[in-house]
Amino acid sequence: MSDNLLLSMLWAVPLAGSVLLLLLPARNDLAVKSTALAITGLTFVLALVAFRVFLAPGGEGVGIPLSERAEHNTLTIDESTGTIEVSDDPGDLVYRGAWIPYFHVQYFLGLDGISMSLVLLTGLISLLACLASWGIDRAVKGYFSLFLLLLSSMMGVFLALDLFLFFVFFEFMLLPMYFLIGVYGGERREYAAIKFLLFTLFGSVFILVAILILYFFAPEGGEALYTFDALRLMASSEHFSGTIFGFGVQSVVFLLFLIGFLIKLPAVPFHTWLPDAHVEAPTPISMILAGVLLKVGGYGLIRLAWPLAPVGAYELSWGVAVLGVIGILYGALAAMAQTDFKRLVAYSSVSHMGYVTLGLAVMNLVDPRYYAYGVNGAMFMMIAHGITSAGMFFLVGVVYDRLHTRELDRLGGLMNVMPVYGGVTLLIFFGSMGLPGLCGFVAEVFVVLSAFNYSYGLAILAAAAVVLTAGYILWTIQRVLLGRNESHRGLPDMTTREVVIAAPLVVLTVWLGIFPQSMLGWMSPAVDQIVASVAAANEDEPEGPGAVASEPDASVPR
Amino acid sequence: MNQWQGWLYVAAVLIPLGAFVVQILGLRRTRDANALIATASIFASLVLSLVGFGSYLAETGGMAAVHHDEAGGPISGGEEVHHVPEAGKVAWTGSWTWVSMGGRLSPGSAPLAIPVGIFVDNLTAIMFVMVTFIATLIHVYSMAYMWGDPRYPRFFAYLSLFCFSMLGLVASSNAFMVFVFWELVGICSYLLIGFWYEEQANADAANKAFVVNRVGDVGMLVGLGLLWTQLGTLDIAEINAGLANVEARQGDGLGRITAGDPAEEHVVALIGGARRIPHWVLVLAGLGIFAGCVGKSAQFPLHVWLPDAMAGPTPVSALIHAATMVAAGVYLVGRFFPLFTNEVLLIIAYAGGITLFIAATIALVQVDFKKVLAYSTVSQLGFMMLALGVGGWAAGLFHLLTHAFFKALLFLGAGSVHHAVHTYDLRPLGGLRRKMPITSTTMLLATLAISGVPLFSGFYSKDAILASAIRFAIDRPGHALLLILPVVGAALTVFYMFRMWFLLFSGQSRGWSASGLVPDHGHEDDPVAHAHESGPRITWPLRILAVPTVMIGWPLTVLPLTIGGVPFHPVLEGWLAYGEPLSVQPLGSAHVWAAATSTLVLVVGIGLAFLAYHPSKTIRRIDPARMANHLGGLYGLFVNKWYFDEVYQALFVRPTLAIAGLTSRFDRTIIDGVVEGSARATVALSRLDRRVDQSVVDRVVTLVARLTYALGDAGRRLQTGRLRGYLMVLSLAFIALSVGVFVWVIR
Repeated sequence: MSDNLLLSMLWAVPLAGSVLLLLLPARNDLAVKSTALAITGLTFVLALVAFRVFLAPGGEGVGIPLSERAEHNTLTIDESTGTIEVSDDPGDLVYRGAWIPYFHVQYFLGLDGISMSLVLLTGLISLLACLASWGIDRAVKGYFSLFLLLLSSMMGVFLALDLFLFFVFFEFMLLPMYFLIGVYGGERREYAAIKFLLFTLFGSVFILVAILILYFFAPEGGEALYTFDALRLMASSEHFSGTIFGFGVQSVVFLLFLIGFLIKLPAVPFHTWLPDAHVEAPTPISMILAGVLLKVGGYGLIRLAWPLAPVGAYELSWGVAVLGVIGILYGALAAMAQTDFKRLVAYSSVSHMGYVTLGLAVMNLVDPRYYAYGVNGAMFMMIAHGITSAGMFFLVGVVYDRLHTRELDRLGGLMNVMPVYGGVTLLIFFGSMGLPGLCGFVAEVFVVLSAFNYSYGLAILAAAAVVLTAGYILWTIQRVLLGRNESHRGLPDMTTREVVIAAPLVVLTVWLGIFPQSMLGWMSPAVDQIVASVAAANEDEPEGPGAVASEPDASVPR
Repeated sequence: MNQWQGWLYVAAVLIPLGAFVVQILGLRRTRDANALIATASIFASLVLSLVGFGSYLAETGGMAAVHHDEAGGPISGGEEVHHVPEAGKVAWTGSWTWVSMGGRLSPGSAPLAIPVGIFVDNLTAIMFVMVTFIATLIHVYSMAYMWGDPRYPRFFAYLSLFCFSMLGLVASSNAFMVFVFWELVGICSYLLIGFWYEEQANADAANKAFVVNRVGDVGMLVGLGLLWTQLGTLDIAEINAGLANVEARQGDGLGRITAGDPAEEHVVALIGGARRIPHWVLVLAGLGIFAGCVGKSAQFPLHVWLPDAMAGPTPVSALIHAATMVAAGVYLVGRFFPLFTNEVLLIIAYAGGITLFIAATIALVQVDFKKVLAYSTVSQLGFMMLALGVGGWAAGLFHLLTHAFFKALLFLGAGSVHHAVHTYDLRPLGGLRRKMPITSTTMLLATLAISGVPLFSGFYSKDAILASAIRFAIDRPGHALLLILPVVGAALTVFYMFRMWFLLFSGQSRGWSASGLVPDHGHEDDPVAHAHESGPRITWPLRILAVPTVMIGWPLTVLPLTIGGVPFHPVLEGWLAYGEPLSVQPLGSAHVWAAATSTLVLVVGIGLAFLAYHPSKTIRRIDPARMANHLGGLYGLFVNKWYFDEVYQALFVRPTLAIAGLTSRFDRTIIDGVVEGSARATVALSRLDRRVDQSVVDRVVTLVARLTYALGDAGRRLQTGRLRGYLMVLSLAFIALSVGVFVWVIR
């Protein structure tokens, strides 16, 4: 299968499916659901095929940096004749075609370790969410059509290497999500949907401006690059060395990206859309929201913000790290005070995403290997959190389906009534708590260890958060599972369908916790390349790492 | 892996894990067979541990300490040192990469890896035998004790998980893995304390145990982070070897790392090259690691979780909260000993001293005999910590081992009593000696051991601790408190242990109502009336444990060992001292003083307990109530456990919850307030806009429309339908257009 076909199908299949569903008879819910499930399944299979190509022995995937692979795929446009020549290096999971030649917009897709892991996550979580959507009984056709539309755009975001294309997919995600919350949500669904929409739109303005600056910026005496090609822009970071309105162009670009993606992540103080969106969204949409959508924010940071503006990132790293630590503590504290099960899980997401921010920000570049642990930890957190949080929201939904309440005070005693549910919940929540042997631990501990190389103070604060995490998770477990509650007697345990949904999450939670290298082995080379390029870009700066090493607070004397 | 024995230990660790997986996945099918699976697996580990231990003995020539003088070493005075340097001792190791990253960052750089590895030396080998031996007996005991519990199979699954974690902890070669297993034993402890989670109190106790432990673990994480950042490795043996040779040790008479200036840097020789670490960072790292040990070993100020942990089933209390897991903190301090600087060692000693004293005072007044044992455990762990802190490395670990046996026996005995009388309350009991001969005899042996009666194991280990404390007090008279506390603590130990034994087993049953109490729901007034000795699965573990309880400290030996030339030196202590991490002070005459002190302490303790609690009518008795009165306010302090729970509740728990509440409210009102405020402002603005629209823009539009209409209306008249008229307009327009174009072009 050519790269073009494979990569395009990843987003085009669900898109086509979304249209296809509309053609089905509206009465036949089962047909709609099965078709949607089949298409989601097919998409996941395509992701697995891409993964297989990626891992192929002696292949092009793991070892060769994305930037090098991209160079083998060239696009030549003869401006005078308008002929377009595409040279595709097959089997390297990169495809570069023309889209809007006049504005140098390319149809540029590619996968490396970072995007590959997220594409797999998206495929899996969507499949499970689709299964979890079986209970949807209202406007079924519309729901699944929107669902597939959402899947298509999420895939597109992770595939796109052209900033314009990325932005199109990024914006396109909002639409189905808006309707899925606003139409299929709970009581305050309209409020939550509009809040979600406005927040994200607000953020995307910043992202758009950053993209346009990159496109149009011309250093003194030079010419603008006029390209949306993310990899080319990354490779020419020295091009962005002037100022805009008196501020370093890289700092401005970084800050714009940062704000845009931190809203999506979300980071404190841009997070308040999240609890509302989660509480109102139907269970499967919450799974996608927490499992995949939040990762778009983290992905944007790691794929765009840091590599496109490495010097700016370095300059602002202290502030970002502080923001990360605040997020960790704030989210944990807020989670502790919640009485709504789902809202509590939502705040725990805020806390966990703080580790992503912190892991990216701990830029002590004296020995970049330590920083690599931070970034890898951040990446690992995205995957681990994608698995556990999707699981947690699903488990909240399982209880809600049975009891029609999420009030923690009214739960309790479920361990005895629903033993399988109890076991799964214990494991997934422990995974989120960062218990060693489960996936959350690896992420947390990498980020915290790496943070020690950056600032003792911040690292100690981040480490201290594990007490709060243990506190709210164990307290939640107690209020949901433990104790005795006669009124819940006779509740059915998890059904086969529910077990099928939970099983992959449970297996992955354990597997990634015990064998993290099985993912890091193919993911971390891509992360390391970003770390290396960020470090190299800062090396040339007069105020680079060497200068910081003399500050006692920002670095460790050695 | 450098030796086949390494694989042996890997297998010993993994067998219980395999058993756990089988049990938990097959929970519904294996059911009661879980007990057999679990017991068989831990027994297999015991066999492997024994083989490993035997092999270690063989390979090291009976772990004979080598005689050699360390001229110019930290020990002066030409005394003989019975010491194999850590670097020179036999250790079986194996290491595999767990994660490895950052190898591609620059062409020459090696990746920064975190390995998994095992490290087996004498301490590991001995710990393995102890853990698996006690665990096997407790598995057998649990088969009877837990029989009939609805979650009987699950209990054994958790036990297997615990055994895996505990053995993993002991076998770990690096501090990262220790942390992993540290948390895993913690979660096993959580699951087992809250095993009967239907009761709120049990679930609360489980939460408390885990959260308090996590407070310590934060410290440990900080320690790990600092060491990893500064030294680039977390391998314990490597760091130990590097730190054992730092220059700063030479200046101090006791061989401790000291520095005049906290910013002074120590040069640590590691495999990857020398690294520098500032003294204050080393202190902070040591404190961090120790904080983890404080949590796990229930030391002051984090001791509050252990008494509550008694909410778990009694076999769990015996295995996890007496013999093995809680000793892990002491084990780690011993394992990582060279890491601790002079300041940290002093803090360790004082933490141990304060703990042993506080816990002993609380144990004096408990009416729940399981709680007596719990506080006794806290207190004994304090003894061990103190010993390590004052440099009695082998003494502390020796006591860890003797304590494991006799305390496990005491807990199992307590469980046996509970099995018979269904209460842990001392007050209505008494006179059980005749009804439960095996339980009472074995518990008496254990009581004698913990009290330090000569010829019982506890005597030798407590003697070693006191000797170390005496030696330290001689060297550092300013720290005499570190001698006074254990001496007083030892006396208190004797008293509360005999108090418990007398109240349980001697005299006659007192009954509930005679003690001014209401019997537990539906029980008869005399709890002892129908009591009888427990079955063989309970009594045999007691009998078997009684053997090491008595003998483990004996200096006798059937093996051809050289015990450092000192006669009557406990064999076990000698085994431990093989390859001590650092040269410690030779104790010499301190032993004699220690023996004298402990005998005196013993006489006072037993005497007081006898007078107060022995039912004999021939001697004049002391009334315990009057003793309590004499103590006055102190009595209340002890009964209320020094108010730690209340203070922590007020200082930490409630403020945290309050801050959490505030955070949530801040989120709702301030942050969302800003968000919604700006939304409302936008809406208001757009309302204004609408009004402007309607009043101004729309009017203009309407005006334009009207105007257009009027124009159109006027233009209607032009539409006459006469061709001539049209043609004229057309030609006029054409002319005008031409003129216009003409003018524009010319200009």
